[in-house]
Amino acid sequence: MSEAHLTMGAHTPGPMEAPPFAVPSKKLAMWLFIMSDVMTFAACIAAYAFVRNATPDWPRPFHGGTITNVAIMTVVMLTSGLTMLFAVKASRAADKAGAFRWMIITALAGAIFTLLHIRDWMGMISQGAGISQNPWGPPAFGASFYSITGFSLLHMGVGTIALFVVAIRYKGGRYNADDIELFSLFWQFVGLVWLFIVPAVYLMNVAP
Amino acid sequence: MAAAEGQGTGKYVVVYACLLVITAAQFFIGYQHISGSQLVVRMLTFGAIETVLVVFFWMNLASEKKNLIQFIVFFTLFVLAAMNYIWTDSFRLLLFRLTGFGPS
Repeated sequence: MSEAHLTMGAHTPGPMEAPPFAVPSKKLAMWLFIMSDVMTFAACIAAYAFVRNATPDWPRPFHGGTITNVAIMTVVMLTSGLTMLFAVKASRAADKAGAFRWMIITALAGAIFTLLHIRDWMGMISQGAGISQNPWGPPAFGASFYSITGFSLLHMGVGTIALFVVAIRYKGGRYNADDIELFSLFWQFVGLVWLFIVPAVYLMNVAP
Repeated sequence: MAAAEGQGTGKYVVVYACLLVITAAQFFIGYQHISGSQLVVRMLTFGAIETVLVVFFWMNLASEKKNLIQFIVFFTLFVLAAMNYIWTDSFRLLLFRLTGFGPS
């Protein structure tokens, strides 16, 4: 028996190694992505908190109209989280039409949220608030406001488009219930981040 | 099976109602005339409750393996706690700005 043959024999593939933490690899990858995204958002909010705390004349420009808009956005976001869970439930129950319907409803809610977010930005821009200047004083206000809310808007906008794609592919049979559950993890995470942005950026800066 | 499905949906709706109530409380507190530190503590407390509700029940972490829960929770909390190193320097900068004295 040749040496090469012996070597080949020693590396005969065995059974697949068990995935870490006994969860499917795709789900673990999504959790790792979410954890890394937590760090990114946390870094943004920590930087904002640093500047906000160290600036005595930090502006508090948000009036009733903006806060009402943000309240509507929050309700839409929370409701979309619930409808996404209904989509997961329906897909687990092999109710393909139901899962597709709930995903489309969720994506529409995401689109509404994104439009309301852009409306909020347009209101800020019309008041003269930019990234490097604003009518209320410290220029860091605009930079921190647009970076934090912009990052959230990016997640929500891209997530909405991705959800339409996932729904269509699920309907076409290319994705299954596991994929819907994975996307639900991302969607709930984006909603959770918004629940921190609202008090940090808006509610703590309500006009007196 | 059908009962389990119903229970799962009911759990989600209860969490949804809780989140709406907590968020409404945050909006209410936002309009109260209280000090900045008290505002931060209250908002963070409500935020922590919301996080537990969403992560454990809407993201279903509660039904995952115990070692995955430990890995995610401990790692994330450690990094978030480590980010609090900013506060001493932030208060130092605030003191400089209020008193007019700066680092030499």
